[in-house]
Amino acid sequence: MKRLFSIFLCVALLFGTLGMLASCQSKTYEIAIVTDVGQLMDKGFNQGTYEGAKAYAEAHKIGYKYYQPANGSDATDNDRIAAMKQAINNGAKIIVAPGFLQATAMETVAKENPSVKFVFVDGWALGLDNVTAIVYKEQESGYLAGYAAVMEGYTKLGFTGGGGGGNPAVNRFGYGFIQGADAAAKEKGVSVEMKYSFKYGETFAASNELQTQIAGWYASGTEVVFSCGGSMFQSVKSAAGEYPDARIIGVDVDQSGESEKVITSAVKGLSASVERVLGQFYDGKWDSELADQAQNLGAAENSTGLPTDTWSLKNFTVDQYTELFNKIKNGEIVPVAEVPEDVTAGWSNVVVTLEQ
Amino acid sequence: MIFLIQKTLIFTIPLLIVALAGMYAERSGIINIALDGLMIFGAFVGALAALLLRKNPFFVDHNQLTFLLAMLVAAAAGALFSLLLSFSAIRLKADQTIGGTALNMLAPAIALLIIKVFFTKDMLEMERAADTSGTMKDFGFVILHDDLGPIGRIFFDKAYISTFLAAGLFVVLSIFIYKTKTGLRLRSCGEHPQAAASVGIDVIRMRYLGTTISGALAGLGGYIYIATVANGTASGAVAGMGFLALAIMIFGNWKPLGIALGALLFGFLKCLGVIYAQISIPIHGQDVYILRDLDLPMYFYNLIPYVAVLIVLAFTSGSSRAPKAEGIPYDKGAR
Repeated sequence: MKRLFSIFLCVALLFGTLGMLASCQSKTYEIAIVTDVGQLMDKGFNQGTYEGAKAYAEAHKIGYKYYQPANGSDATDNDRIAAMKQAINNGAKIIVAPGFLQATAMETVAKENPSVKFVFVDGWALGLDNVTAIVYKEQESGYLAGYAAVMEGYTKLGFTGGGGGGNPAVNRFGYGFIQGADAAAKEKGVSVEMKYSFKYGETFAASNELQTQIAGWYASGTEVVFSCGGSMFQSVKSAAGEYPDARIIGVDVDQSGESEKVITSAVKGLSASVERVLGQFYDGKWDSELADQAQNLGAAENSTGLPTDTWSLKNFTVDQYTELFNKIKNGEIVPVAEVPEDVTAGWSNVVVTLEQ
Repeated sequence: MIFLIQKTLIFTIPLLIVALAGMYAERSGIINIALDGLMIFGAFVGALAALLLRKNPFFVDHNQLTFLLAMLVAAAAGALFSLLLSFSAIRLKADQTIGGTALNMLAPAIALLIIKVFFTKDMLEMERAADTSGTMKDFGFVILHDDLGPIGRIFFDKAYISTFLAAGLFVVLSIFIYKTKTGLRLRSCGEHPQAAASVGIDVIRMRYLGTTISGALAGLGGYIYIATVANGTASGAVAGMGFLALAIMIFGNWKPLGIALGALLFGFLKCLGVIYAQISIPIHGQDVYILRDLDLPMYFYNLIPYVAVLIVLAFTSGSSRAPKAEGIPYDKGAR
């Protein structure tokens, strides 16, 4: 027994050393990614940003590394500050930080380190010359997704968003989703029911509560659920697994590879825009093009939309999609970005039921 | 309504089996506060097993077999992990509460370390995998039968084999501890080990047996929990289910029937707390959403199951009767 115990301890020690070795490589990382809440490989927001940075770094042989603030989904500003400082100590010249929650931390660290550049994804200009912001017109992707779902023939939709209703990007996705569904319903002359919830997934995490709630939606007839938030997808997927006809709309990146239930995804061009900004930085265009600027990217920049190659829609054709997309691109249709206090009011063909 | 009952069953099963796990250890005289850690460990190893098995197309075709194997592996992992507790508590005569707490801290640490080092993730998700014909299949062990009528649907639609397996185990193990010779001996070691030893019962063996069964059940319960309730992902946490099971064991007065009742009650309230907004009662042909229209904050409903357990414990703890010798290291010389 003692022997078994000592073997166990040895194994534990071995794993410990392995873990240490993994984090102790002496190399400098010029590009650092400091993740938002949720995990790096969330198949969504964090991962999209990371992959953009990775693609640029690998193509140009630049060292890159990601930093996950301590305490995971409960990370505080202090944890984020610590992660950014650690990145700078490891030689980071540019820090890409996704998520509006990073604002306070970034402001603090950016002021202290004027020579290090910061890319604030989903953020805004902070009044500092070493910070640039990228924002997306999520309402456009949401609009397209809602429109496509109703045009496909679905009349009972659901939306579950992360961030507890306090995340501007998620709110824009959701509000755009209703607008698109309403527009399509008006066109087809049908009435659409939509369940709308920010109840679970405040930290974008999967949970048994979320899974049960969404299973309840599918049980009561909801056909498609727009799963708007990183790892929450796992819960929606598990709930959909119990209902043969249940379908999902993914978010941020193309999630069609995650489940056969995904009919399409409301994407935003995270990787592409991060890659582009990094290119501008390394081409020495920071001061002229990026410093203290906020880029607002949408259909016109090909940064929003639905990936038509992998969608499984049948009644709504790619041609119809392209036509609509171009209307948004030209500004003929402008999905409203400002989310009002009450999202249930003002629709002609959609009945929105809030669940909170 | 069918939905509510289905979900209640699914929430109840892991609690039931883990509370029974606690009962087995405590009836043999070992406080098993490590239920949560054992669940986490079992869940992690089970998920790992399922993930690796699904790399082979054969196991994607035979979903239920994969599930059974993963459950078996989870139970074995739980049993092995619990040896740490029994070794420290029985052989080294260490404080059982502290030993259990150590396991509770060790389990998530091991699980997360391995997930982070080998998968660079915070949690182990079940990905799509190819079956023998090359089609990608989603992960899921659910059995679908929606053509069975209301009663049949409650038990056999959206059901998991784990439900039947755990219910069967529960019955068998309840009979085992009350109606067999070994069961009687095991219980006697939790009441008065010296007296048991005086009639020739091997107390140490009985206590190892009780804790190992307990570990296996808790590991199994942990994997059932993540496979049926928590998205199939192992994340180094089981939402405190282990501690809840401990409370339910006390609520059930260390008896199987009481445990079953407690687990059902809690499972029902927990489920209600999540889907209260969707429950309607037809009045005059119209669906009335009573609970939703009360317009109370969701936290209120989420609290109900925990508050209910607290209240019931407060009222019943006067009459509760824990095994007399639990928590006391066995000392042959003591009288």
